[in-house]
Amino acid sequence: MIRLENVSYSYSDGKPAIRDIYIEIRKGEYIGIIGRNGSGKSTLALHFNGLLKPGKGKVMVKGMDTRDISMLQEIRKIVGIVFQNPETQFIGRTVEEDLAFGPENLCLPPEEIRRRVERVLAEIGLENYRYHSPKTLSGGQGQCVALAGTLTMEPECLVFDEVSSMLDPDSGKLVLKHVKKLHEKEKTIIYITHNLEELHDADRIIVMDRGRIVLEGKTENVLSNPFLLDLGLTPPPLMDLAERLKKHGVMIPWEKTSSPSNFAEEICQLFLKT
Amino acid sequence: MQGPVFSFVPGDSFLHTLDPRTKLAAVMLLGILTFRTESFFGIVTLFVFFFALASISGLPARVFLRAVRPMILFIIFIFFAQLFFTKGHVLTSFWILNPSLEGLQNGLRLSARFILLLLFAALMTASTDPSAITSGIERMLRPLPLRWLGVNSFELATMMNLSISFLPILFERAERTKVAQASRGMYFGKNPLRSVSALAIPLIKGVIRDAEELALAMESRGYQGTRRTSIHELRMQRRDWISLFALILFADFMLRF
Ligand SMILES: Nc1ncnc2c1ncn2[C@@H]1O[C@H](COP(=O)(O)OP(=O)(O)OP(=O)(O)O)[C@@H](O)[C@H]1O
Ligand SMILES: [Mg+2]
Repeated sequence: MIRLENVSYSYSDGKPAIRDIYIEIRKGEYIGIIGRNGSGKSTLALHFNGLLKPGKGKVMVKGMDTRDISMLQEIRKIVGIVFQNPETQFIGRTVEEDLAFGPENLCLPPEEIRRRVERVLAEIGLENYRYHSPKTLSGGQGQCVALAGTLTMEPECLVFDEVSSMLDPDSGKLVLKHVKKLHEKEKTIIYITHNLEELHDADRIIVMDRGRIVLEGKTENVLSNPFLLDLGLTPPPLMDLAERLKKHGVMIPWEKTSSPSNFAEEICQLFLKT
Repeated sequence: MQGPVFSFVPGDSFLHTLDPRTKLAAVMLLGILTFRTESFFGIVTLFVFFFALASISGLPARVFLRAVRPMILFIIFIFFAQLFFTKGHVLTSFWILNPSLEGLQNGLRLSARFILLLLFAALMTASTDPSAITSGIERMLRPLPLRWLGVNSFELATMMNLSISFLPILFERAERTKVAQASRGMYFGKNPLRSVSALAIPLIKGVIRDAEELALAMESRGYQGTRRTSIHELRMQRRDWISLFALILFADFMLRF
């Protein structure tokens, strides 16, 4: 549903922030994008709904070119982005007003806006904060408001750009839980992160370095690739451990590396068998 | 601070269900009325009117206390200034101060007017969702030829919302920058000019970055600065017109004194 062909982009300094990017994203896919600081992930994210237009190449969203200004509103209805800093994403003074902002821009009638706001408030569990200022909420709740604000646009695809990097681990897990639920509802997910552990459920991972895609493949293959260390990325400890055990002939299935308790269970099973 | 923003207290009283434009117009009218009312009888009547509205609204008393409290010093100051500096029949004299009867009257009247103004404003903000107030203002501005100023009423309303929600971020950032500079050994007491530049440059850089991020978030959610709808259905209903009419009758009655 989203296709990037040969996309390059340079900021005003002239140095390309991303170059020759080719990505094809199918409907309902869950894609992880990783890479060290400054590798061009955020620049790439801004291309998915036309916030940045490619300097070279083209970005197609459901057959619409993001350079076509008359299509932009349509494209933004389809692809929503949740950014890193919750504070600079709040537009409304109350949570309700913030959630209404998108649909108001789409010129939907008031009843429809109210219906969407109610539904999303319930879905994300923010009913009690309806008339609160988003600023009085904790970081995790704040990021949930930011997510909710894009959900009222009813997008088919959601891009998350390091949404958990300013949150404590528990709040990060809360946001991730919502991401997982959205994926189950057949939304297309593009999840950008530094924390590779968060990508356990992704179908596919794209690794960026210095503006290029340097590695791409199924999640388990990418996360167990020793090349990651050279790119300044630390593989999740459990997956790393599983990889090392494999070299000693102990096979831990991929699904079991999602949490320490699963891992421990698997090891006990193996012991009991022998 | 946890709790609904401003003093808005959600509810479903008669006042809550009025159109924000009715309430805006009413507050303006009552403001004028308050300052045109000279007699003590008139001012007492306005207080009675306020209490009637407040009891209809079902709003808790703390809403109104919170509105008046921050201004109380100012009101006391006004009262004493009037009391001591109005010429007239001297009541008593201590030292060089000669409070006069007229001063007492003026002082009471003026402070009562300020308090009334605050109370009526609190009544409106407490019974109206803040975003509905901006929608109301936007609708009232829409017929004006704002194009001459290079904006439209939609942009103006969004700007109003943003400046209210964005200013606190600015102050917070200023505070953070100050702490960060102070921890690097910057001392803010001695040379004010130096500290201003040490604060201003990182602050401005930060604010520009914040503004850029905000602009991206807005654009991403389809903001174009053109016509948009509102979650608040603004519709003047019968009760709005009746309320306004009743209010005008009341004002007319008051101004006859
Ligand atoms: N607004 C901008 N103006 C100029 N250069 C920029 C701008 N934003 C990013 N860059 C540059 O583009 C390159 C890619 O940055 P980008 O923010 O896309 O990386 P990133 O992978 O998201 O990094 P991070 O992990 O820190 O978020 C960097 O070299 C950065 O300095
Ligand atoms: Mg980034």
